[in-house]
Amino acid sequence: MPSVIQVRNLTKKYGSNIAVNDISFEVNKGEVFGLLGENGAGKTTTLEMIEGLRKPTDGSIQILGHDAKEKLTEIKERIGVQLQSSAYYSNLTLTEILDLFATFYPKHLETLDLLRMVGLEEKKDAYIGSLSGGQKQRFSIVASLINDPEIVFLDEPTTGLDPLARRRLWDNITAIKTQGKTIILTTHYMEEAEILCDHIAIMDHGKIIASDETHKLIEKAREPLKITFIDNQLTEDDKSDLKKLGNFKDIAGKDYYFEMNFKTQPELNKALRIIQARDPESLTVTRASLEDVFIELTGRRIGDEEDEA
Amino acid sequence: MMLKLFVSNLKMLARNKQSLFWSLFFPLIFTVIFGLFFGRENNMSGTIAVVNESQTQIATGLDKALTDSKLFNISSEKNFDAAKTLVEKSKISAVVEIPGTFGSLAPTDSKEVKVFYDPGSAQTVQILNNFIGGYLTQASFQIQKSQPLFSVKSEKTGNTTRSYSYFDFVMAGILGLALMNSSIIGIAIAISSYREDKILKRITTTPLPTWKFISMEVLSRLVVNLVQIGLILAVGVYGFHGHVYGNLFVLLGIALIGAILFQLLGFVIATFAKNPDAAQSMSQVIAIPMMFLAGVFFPIDSLPSWLSSIVQYLPLAPLLRMLRAVSTEAQSPFTNPINIAIVAGWIVLTLSFTIWRFRLSDE
Repeated sequence: MPSVIQVRNLTKKYGSNIAVNDISFEVNKGEVFGLLGENGAGKTTTLEMIEGLRKPTDGSIQILGHDAKEKLTEIKERIGVQLQSSAYYSNLTLTEILDLFATFYPKHLETLDLLRMVGLEEKKDAYIGSLSGGQKQRFSIVASLINDPEIVFLDEPTTGLDPLARRRLWDNITAIKTQGKTIILTTHYMEEAEILCDHIAIMDHGKIIASDETHKLIEKAREPLKITFIDNQLTEDDKSDLKKLGNFKDIAGKDYYFEMNFKTQPELNKALRIIQARDPESLTVTRASLEDVFIELTGRRIGDEEDEA
Repeated sequence: MMLKLFVSNLKMLARNKQSLFWSLFFPLIFTVIFGLFFGRENNMSGTIAVVNESQTQIATGLDKALTDSKLFNISSEKNFDAAKTLVEKSKISAVVEIPGTFGSLAPTDSKEVKVFYDPGSAQTVQILNNFIGGYLTQASFQIQKSQPLFSVKSEKTGNTTRSYSYFDFVMAGILGLALMNSSIIGIAIAISSYREDKILKRITTTPLPTWKFISMEVLSRLVVNLVQIGLILAVGVYGFHGHVYGNLFVLLGIALIGAILFQLLGFVIATFAKNPDAAQSMSQVIAIPMMFLAGVFFPIDSLPSWLSSIVQYLPLAPLLRMLRAVSTEAQSPFTNPINIAIVAGWIVLTLSFTIWRFRLSDE
């Protein structure tokens, strides 16, 4: 897979505040690349520098073979951008907005086809103000496709949406990917990133602290195996036996609902035998999730922050 | 690309009820109010009653002269006491009583015309007293068969065959006011809300050059300005007998140059204003004092001289002087080049600032 974006030593400073601190990564053609991180980790600043909205303090960005500093207009013609929170004229209808944006580009797709793609064809004569949150986000995404871009940037496309609207948007994003477009998205929903992204970079305090293909990143977890179980009469002896095998903790202070993380399969097997012997009410064996990895990687730092405060 | 943006901007302006109110309806209200007060019977200064109880030639002559002068509205009330009550209730400005034997030359007969007036209508009464005084002086001279030794002859500036009223003065002022308000406030609020709604940022992600975005924004608003000027002039001229003596196209040209200047001021405000509310208050801080100090409703030379020597350089002031030179005196706007110089200076200043500091999105 050829890479369509190469970011080298990218840095953005605002006075003494370093928003993005010397990061480098590549995005391959046709993949969904996820930038993950807490609010303020530098995701949006990074995205906006690549989109040409902000000037980097240092470093270089290559997009589709062009240097972002020199060929910005050519690049803009071939990328699509959805900004965090929808950003469109309130006094134009959806069709009118898309028709207007279409004229900004040398080539463009059919307005109605785009609206149909995200199930908004019945709203074609509506104003933005009359749309629900999910509809607004879907419109915002589809508006970024008006120029049939090769790369699509989605900044927190599902933030603030209810679970159903979020799932619907995942389908839309998947549909864009199957058209062969490259997608870069930011999110702070781990489940979403795990499902949608082929490659993930985790940002923290302006730095990329981990970057890999999604499944490899999860496998890198220190304790990649996990069980959860419910047992009302777990004895203290059993508890101390289990604690020797892995990371044992109750869930949200409940004294009957437990979770364990393991480094190795034999430890997991031993723990399973102990628990199964007790005939528990519920027992689930899974692998660690992206969220576990994320907390492993950033959790210590969040703790530091709280100590400072 | 440009045409579509221009048409879209027009659509948005037409759909924005609030901005339509301020740019079109609001100046029309001003025109109508000033028209009702000062337009139409534009030389009239108030209503008076004339109670003539004398049959003499001088008395009937005075009565007729007052009616024909068109300086006053003449009340139909011919009963002195009833008319006096009207004055006391401030329904009319004054009552002129011509006593029964006035005008006869017999030494015992009354030689005085009496005027009872409402102190609230001092201006009308002054005109009335001058008129009656002048008439009676003429009559006295005629009876004595003599000629006044000294007299005064006053001439208006400009073309003397044209009558130019206070309403004409104000109508040109309202043109300037409307241009200023809709352009400064319109641009400042529109651009700062585009920024707040991230529309400016979204535009920056497209290949559309900034200058095209800005120029279409300016151009579409100039169309609104044309409608605005057309409406004010139509209502003023056809509804209230206002006058435009000069070339209408020259007038429109000056108005549009003024509109561009005020839109640039709007961009300067939008550079500073963090949100539409701030933009609104900042625009008003600039527009409201300028409305009173730059001579919309009264000539700035009635201000103390230290103040008028400053306010004559406000952006609206030279614009109003040029608008009035064209509309009321049919002069060329180039008669006084200092006005053009001031307007050009302001345009250069605001344009340079806009180019220097205004950005569609933060960097």
